[in-house]
Amino acid sequence: MSTEEIVAMDHVSFKYGRQNVLDDISLHVKKGSFLGLVGPNGSGKSTLIKLLLGLHKQQDGTIQLFGEDHRRFRGWSRVGFVSQKAASFNSGFPATVKEVVSMGLYGKKGLFRFLTKKDRQRVEEALEKVGMREYKNKTIGQLSGGQQQRVFIARALVSDPELLILDEPTVGVDAESVQNFYTLLKELNEQQGMTLILVTHDIGAMSSYVTDVACLNKCLHYHGGIVDYEENREELMNRMYGHEVNVIEHNHDHHHHSHDHDHDDLHGGRPG
Amino acid sequence: MSAFWTYEFLRYSLFTSMMIGVLAPVMGVFVVVRRMSLMADALSHITLTGIAFSLLIGRWHPPAAAWNPVYMGMVFAVGGSVLIDRLRRIFMHYKEAAITIILSGAIGVGVVFISLADGFNTDLFSYLFGSVSAVSRTDFFIILILSSVVLLLLVLFYKELFFLSFDEEQAVASGIPRQRIHALFIVMTALVIGLSMQIVGILLVSALMTLPVAAAMRFAGSFKQLFIYAAVIGEVCVLTGLFAAFYLDTAPGGTIVLLNTLVLVLSIAVSKAAGKEAV
Ligand SMILES: Nc1ncnc2c1ncn2[C@@H]1O[C@H](COP(=O)(O)OP(=O)(O)OP(=O)(O)O)[C@@H](O)[C@H]1O
Ligand SMILES: [Mg+2]
Repeated sequence: MSTEEIVAMDHVSFKYGRQNVLDDISLHVKKGSFLGLVGPNGSGKSTLIKLLLGLHKQQDGTIQLFGEDHRRFRGWSRVGFVSQKAASFNSGFPATVKEVVSMGLYGKKGLFRFLTKKDRQRVEEALEKVGMREYKNKTIGQLSGGQQQRVFIARALVSDPELLILDEPTVGVDAESVQNFYTLLKELNEQQGMTLILVTHDIGAMSSYVTDVACLNKCLHYHGGIVDYEENREELMNRMYGHEVNVIEHNHDHHHHSHDHDHDDLHGGRPG
Repeated sequence: MSAFWTYEFLRYSLFTSMMIGVLAPVMGVFVVVRRMSLMADALSHITLTGIAFSLLIGRWHPPAAAWNPVYMGMVFAVGGSVLIDRLRRIFMHYKEAAITIILSGAIGVGVVFISLADGFNTDLFSYLFGSVSAVSRTDFFIILILSSVVLLLLVLFYKELFFLSFDEEQAVASGIPRQRIHALFIVMTALVIGLSMQIVGILLVSALMTLPVAAAMRFAGSFKQLFIYAAVIGEVCVLTGLFAAFYLDTAPGGTIVLLNTLVLVLSIAVSKAAGKEAV
């Protein structure tokens, strides 16, 4: 593992409106590591990923990608991403699996460039990796949820990113395919030196693949190697999931009594 | 049919129709998949406001009466599209509201302009419903240039538009400049509406962009096919409609849209028979 830092977050905080979602997060990911990011629902995992990808702007702190301030970062094609809600796409969209996977190359191509024969070959290879090659000419809407998810994974892989970020990528994927997928990730990590960040709730399965773990619940409760993590696991889980209960109660409370919450205008307008 | 070769103005209408017969549905593909069909409707109404404004200036300042009001219409449509975009951001979760606000506002202002300009006459009728005789030689060349520009932009930005339409979050994450591409897209839509309305008229222009696409969707097995089918359906309907309108002495816009509707109904029936589910 080299010492080059692919991701460097320092003292990053983020709020949705007034709700503090991430608090003073410092997270450094070295080249070639495979980071498992875990935490309860609503702990801010997806939000942290969105900050990394520049989809949201942090209110405080700095983020560097590949050693570059991420507000000036332009090398987005070096980053692959599979989002949590792959269902955000329009399933009636008449695009074939091949067309969808090709999108993964668009960022790399830049403006005014067209796909070459070699690109089309890479699309086929990426589909092969996730075992979806035979479906390449089907439209995306004709696939099952799990199959769609595999196509989106292929789309993230097709551009051979140096950093691959996966937000619960295996939701809806069957057990056998999940196994294959984890094996594939491990291969990418060990053989190609691809840096991976994987958000997952599957803590048990994850631990045999990742090199590092980060436990998040608004603040970072743990960040370090998998070995240390395994040793302190029990205590960590208690601490983190213990907090979850508090967070939920707090939100609940907020919702009923406070009038400065973002959504209160809407609720206020309804009878009852 | 020989009339189209004998009379120059008919020839230019024919050429124009051939261009928009392809251009409108091809642009329409993106309009439909981005769920912005209503937006196209709103833009066409703003075009009317611009036309009315041009007529009004023409009355106050006679030299300006020589301008083709459609260009002012296009300017308004482009301006209106920017306004809609702003409003859509204000009404984040109720984006259609922005469109309705602009649509009704535009009609209101347009109607006031028209009455001030004393413009409720046959001219107005041809803007509303289209006319085969509306295209002059100069118009034709301007339309030719603008159509080529729009087509070229569509080819150049195909990747970006496709990705943004399919999955905006992923597209942005991969570095596609959403704001700029979206602005470009809206301006292109406004231009296509301005160009197409000369033949089919303002009230029907959005139909020309959406109906062929809706029909093509029933059969398209890929995004590329969607373009091809939509363009073919659009072109056939525009040309057939134009000739039919000329010989039956009906309004071309209405005739073309009627044909498009017919094709859509047929394609739904055929694809239903073939067992295809709802899109
Ligand atoms: N668009 C939004 N607007 C307002 N608040 C949001 C928004 N998205 C998320 N939140 C809030 O931010 C917090 C963190 O959400 P986030 O999606 O990052 O959690 P997560 O760790 O990914 O959860 P999960 O395991 O369920 O995916 C939650 O409390 C949620 O209510
Ligand atoms: Mg999440």
